[in-house]
Amino acid sequence: MNMKTLQELETYQKLQEEGQYHIGAEPLNIAFKEIGKRGQRRLDGYEKATGKALYTRDLQMPGMLSARVLRSPYAHAKIKRMDTRSAEMLPGVRAIIRYDDPEVQGRELNGSYFAQGWLRPKLAGWALKPVHLVLADEGWYEGQPMGAVIAADNEAIAQQALRLIRIEWEELPFVLDQEDALKPDAPVLRPGAASNEIHYPRKHFEFGDVEKGFQEADQVIEFKARRRAHLWAGAEMPSVLVRWLDDRLEMWVHEQQPYHAKQLIAEWLNIPMGRVTVNTVYQGCSFGGRGNPANNSENGMNILATLLSKKTGRPVKLLYDRRDTFFGESGDITVSYFKVGFKKDGIITAVQIKNLFAVYVTATGMDHFVENTRIANLACEAIPVDVSIGPAWWARCEHLTSCLCLTLVFDHVAAELGMDPIEVALRNDGCHGHDTSYLEQYKHEHGFPDRDSLKECIELGKQAIGWDEKWHLPGTCKLPNGKLHGIAFTWDHNWDDTRGTGSAAVMIENDGSVTIIGHHVDIGPNPWTPLCQIVADEIGVPFESVNIKPWTLDSGFALMSPDGSANLVANGNIVRKAAQKVRKMLLELAAEKFLVDSPEALDIKDGMIFVKADPANSKPVREVVAKAMPMHCSGAFWTQPPVLAWTWHNQGIWGQANETGRPRLCRQAHFMEVEVDPETGQVEVTRVVNVNDVGKAISPESVEGQMYGGTVMGASRGIIEEMIWDPRTGVLLNGNLLDYKYATILDCGPIETPFIETGLGHGPYGACGIGEATPTIIPALLGPAVYNAIGKWVDDFPITPDKVLQALGKI
Amino acid sequence: MHNSATDSCYLCPYCSARLDTFEALKAHVVTEHSTESPPLAEGVIRLTINGQAHQLHVEPEWTLYYLIHDRLGLTGTKMFCDRGACGSCTVILDGRPILSCITLAIECNGKTIETIEGIAADHHPLIDAYVKHHALQCGYCTPGFVVTAKALLDRDADPTEDETKEALAGNLCRCGTYPQHAKAVLEAAQVLRERR
Repeated sequence: MNMKTLQELETYQKLQEEGQYHIGAEPLNIAFKEIGKRGQRRLDGYEKATGKALYTRDLQMPGMLSARVLRSPYAHAKIKRMDTRSAEMLPGVRAIIRYDDPEVQGRELNGSYFAQGWLRPKLAGWALKPVHLVLADEGWYEGQPMGAVIAADNEAIAQQALRLIRIEWEELPFVLDQEDALKPDAPVLRPGAASNEIHYPRKHFEFGDVEKGFQEADQVIEFKARRRAHLWAGAEMPSVLVRWLDDRLEMWVHEQQPYHAKQLIAEWLNIPMGRVTVNTVYQGCSFGGRGNPANNSENGMNILATLLSKKTGRPVKLLYDRRDTFFGESGDITVSYFKVGFKKDGIITAVQIKNLFAVYVTATGMDHFVENTRIANLACEAIPVDVSIGPAWWARCEHLTSCLCLTLVFDHVAAELGMDPIEVALRNDGCHGHDTSYLEQYKHEHGFPDRDSLKECIELGKQAIGWDEKWHLPGTCKLPNGKLHGIAFTWDHNWDDTRGTGSAAVMIENDGSVTIIGHHVDIGPNPWTPLCQIVADEIGVPFESVNIKPWTLDSGFALMSPDGSANLVANGNIVRKAAQKVRKMLLELAAEKFLVDSPEALDIKDGMIFVKADPANSKPVREVVAKAMPMHCSGAFWTQPPVLAWTWHNQGIWGQANETGRPRLCRQAHFMEVEVDPETGQVEVTRVVNVNDVGKAISPESVEGQMYGGTVMGASRGIIEEMIWDPRTGVLLNGNLLDYKYATILDCGPIETPFIETGLGHGPYGACGIGEATPTIIPALLGPAVYNAIGKWVDDFPITPDKVLQALGKI
Repeated sequence: MHNSATDSCYLCPYCSARLDTFEALKAHVVTEHSTESPPLAEGVIRLTINGQAHQLHVEPEWTLYYLIHDRLGLTGTKMFCDRGACGSCTVILDGRPILSCITLAIECNGKTIETIEGIAADHHPLIDAYVKHHALQCGYCTPGFVVTAKALLDRDADPTEDETKEALAGNLCRCGTYPQHAKAVLEAAQVLRERR
């Protein structure tokens, strides 16, 4: 075969075209057998339930050392002198790297990897801290890794050695609150800056003409809200295990996007990426917290572990402890100012929001008004302000602020008018300033089913919670147990978050079973079972014969790894395409064996290939691939090429707010009941009903699991979770899981999760994302629920008992 | 306990008699050989873990979690909170669920311990029920829940839903799998009752 013929077989351009997502519903050409089936065995189930599943934290290696890094004990401080001699003399200490050692002195972090490019530390927006060095001598927040890192025979010795380091600190001024930080007498935290307002990435958003909108209004209201700091505090404390092999590096990382770990470490060490092997095992949940915004600091840890491994010649595992996980917050610490104009019938004419974010901003807070409503005039100013706390990142998800703003605006308007909030929602439903006919036309043009599923979701939810019987005017329902009953509704249709790029191969093993090859990280949502279900149905083999090998980037293929926003909706399309290709290959090979003219004459069902016209003429897949050996051994028997196909897929990016011309179609309605104790101020979530149009539930139990989990996290965020810093010292007072409480099994009432499947999503078979919706919306829903119970707004989250009692005038 | 007798064996140092438990060995040497139980070297403890006998040297500051997870490689016992707040390190010590991260190993001499590995090896119906009901997501906290639930079912064959939740209230799950746990535990209880 000459080169020309090879080029004709597969060109790069062909692959490029193959990988693009084209907006629109794909015609369904398979029957669902495994897809959508309840009771499908989870691939990760037994390993996890029996404790056999290994996590990065569990890994050990012969000769392994444990490493701990020094962290700033102050909100803002500089090392004047550091004496490490006592630490060096402690038996069991094997290496110390100081900030002034040549390996690290003056050496910068690489930054973060995100979307279209590499963000150098000075522009790594999420961190928004002047932390540029791998090991600095100045700390900008309590907990900043700085000064020294120590490797020792075990973690306890490393920790003890850290305590033996003598440091003369120079404490520097700090400020904790973003409003205080903007006052003229506030200390300016960033060297050379004129104020604490951060000008990158300040975001302005304007749509229509808000001044005109306010003039058109019958009524204009203004109010202010706050969201205090909270964090994801995932189950597994992070760690990284590295092994430097003189000219190669092996890593086991606890990160959601390990390919970025490989890119960043190779760049920092100046070694070819091909010499870095990155592996992952199971990972404790992290909800985006170990995703790309954190690359900057994660890579700092990877660098320090690698330098220690280089220095000692031994494998090194660098570990975070629980307090270390508290030096970073969810990125929605906001002070929000609202101005809303509306007509008597509930039509909103203008919304103006100013959001002051502490140390972070990605979404403005206005995004869901664009995606979700017909409101013609919108303006938002999102201003990040530097304060002396750890860098904030997104955690399930960056749209917490958007959901809070949307819910508060709609429910404040409904409250002012004494209207049912559902009515106000439906009157303003739409997209990008258009009414719902715009969405209808879009669906029609792109082959999506033309159903107004918001109304369907609302109806289902109203019935489930008993809305018509239970909804009452605020503060008017006292229960026999003396508590005040509240009921609330909110809505959204944002979670059509399909995006991302990835690749995978599907291989027919020599016994006819099927393997998906593609690195992927599991952080909890049962990501692999649905991929196997898809491959099984696309090829026509039983679910039990399909498996996935997700553990190493060395496989050469990597599915889009979860950053918390999109997962199955992109990866399902990748494996679906690869499975279709492999099925085609299998049928071509089978055509030779069945002596039929065309593969079209054949079909595959339950692992049997058969002639359509004569189904009794059949062979198991195993027989057809008997001579097609994926991994050749010696011998001349395997004379046919492996039946293996790979593909890539680019799902593009979501949403009208990104000006992609891709409106979000999925719909959701959320209902909550609370009981508020007027004597103690305690809020109890007694019932939640989440109704989602999930497009297509590939694994129904996983859909429900995501909705349950998100609701629990959401309720916890809304009424319990708050990080509290000592105003005198700037030190976090509740940096552990005894003092920072989050929901237990007793902290949320029954959760109902009815869903409908209209095929409206951009994911495979019309699936939409589900994992982010409830944890992001439910905290906001606590606001109107408590308002409905007590008749007063507590626009300060979390809604803790002291705030409720204050609103009731009791303290 | 569902120990298999063949796994658990204590050898008498005087007559090589085989005894099932350490307590039985102590009784044996006292009655048969008119002596006190064999002395242990300083820092050495004996433990029965999942029905298997261990004689181990431990440092005074080692926690039971460190011994089980880091030294013995029984990694199903997890470290989540690091201070007795989350239940992920739960093991069953002489029939009671305890937090191994705040228990000193050296204080466990002579005790019988059951970890998730032992519960799994016994094919306890909780395992199937947890998988079936998706009472797990990232799975990191799952073994702690299963061990706590096992201890509950050992002492109460027919708990109510509220009793089950009460028993599991000391276990944290950040993925929020809570609504599925009671379903799984109550189903496992049913299976166990039917087996009897």
